[in-house]
Amino acid sequence: MIFRAVEDGDLIRQAARGSVEAYNLLVSRWEKRVYNYLLRITGNREDALDLTQDVFLKAYQNLRKLDDPGRFAPWLYRIAHNEAYSMFRKRRPETDVDDLEPEATETGITVGGSAVFPVELSLAVASALERLSPDQREAVVLKVYQGFKFEEMAEILACPVSTVKSRLYTAFDLLKTELAPVSARGVS
Amino acid sequence: MSCSPIVLKDYVLKELGDAERRAVDAHLKSCTGCREELERLRLTEAALFSLREEEIPQRIAFVSDPVFEPSTWQRVWSGFWGSAARLGFASAALLSGAIVYSAVTRPAPVAVTPAAPAVPTIANVQPAPAVSEAEIQNRIDVAVRKAVAASREQEMVQVRQLVGDLQQKRQQFTLALAQLEVDEHKLSDLRHSGYYPTSASVREQQ
Repeated sequence: MIFRAVEDGDLIRQAARGSVEAYNLLVSRWEKRVYNYLLRITGNREDALDLTQDVFLKAYQNLRKLDDPGRFAPWLYRIAHNEAYSMFRKRRPETDVDDLEPEATETGITVGGSAVFPVELSLAVASALERLSPDQREAVVLKVYQGFKFEEMAEILACPVSTVKSRLYTAFDLLKTELAPVSARGVS
Repeated sequence: MSCSPIVLKDYVLKELGDAERRAVDAHLKSCTGCREELERLRLTEAALFSLREEEIPQRIAFVSDPVFEPSTWQRVWSGFWGSAARLGFASAALLSGAIVYSAVTRPAPVAVTPAAPAVPTIANVQPAPAVSEAEIQNRIDVAVRKAVAASREQEMVQVRQLVGDLQQKRQQFTLALAQLEVDEHKLSDLRHSGYYPTSASVREQQ
């Protein structure tokens, strides 16, 4: 566990009072996570980077509206979710957002080569995630990669906890069918 | 507990309380089907974790960058209303209102014709022309412009100072980075030459 001399809550309070340095530090703590979240749901690095920029700008402009600094993470991801879906709508206004898929690439999201996990497994995961619906994929990203609790996910996605669970369970069943055999081969 | 795929998913996703986890652990000891299902879920989770987080290609622009700064109009507006100029403006507006009210409601001076030869009295002196509303507005505008300009000038000084500090820090950082690179290079050379420095030899070198 990383010890932090200054907690996020202190930084948020200072930033809300106009401290640029405090906000800079807060951004540096969260930018990678937010970028990766947006990368997983958009499937495009440029979009993810642009959106991350927008998210932190919007967060800065609205920081005073955040009543409880302890709820910063779900609040920040709610902004990120809204920004991403706003972009989807702008690009394809005539399409239902639920039908949107991330930009298909030949190999899915490229991952850094790893000696521990075979590249094939990473590619299989990227491909399996792409085949999920956007809602299911986002639920997996928020739970598995970002570590949010069901209640926090419901807050971010603005939907009931039961909906969050339903999306996640269905996604897990689909992923299990595709990935468990591949993963078992990789492990053995 | 009975076999439940959903409870097993919650178990893997760490959404169960201590008591529920213990119940699942106890059930798993006696249920082969659930153990196999749990294994598949864990393999799925492990596969998902093979997709590593990427480094952000470019650090996010900080607040001091222009992209985060409010527009010129917002800056002027907030600078003006957030400063002492607000009090000055309010006072000027109040005073102007009082002058206008006084000018409108004051009765016109009645000229008194003296019987005696004209002696210069106050009644003979031409009153100063009443200040028109346009003139008052003009004066207010001038006062506001001055206050805004002063506030903006002050902000510009602060911004210039911040930019200067930032550049200085950046320079220091670049130097430190360069030094680090040199040290790494030296260390790499030493390792390639088969020499591994011990803490004692490092102290000696220093």
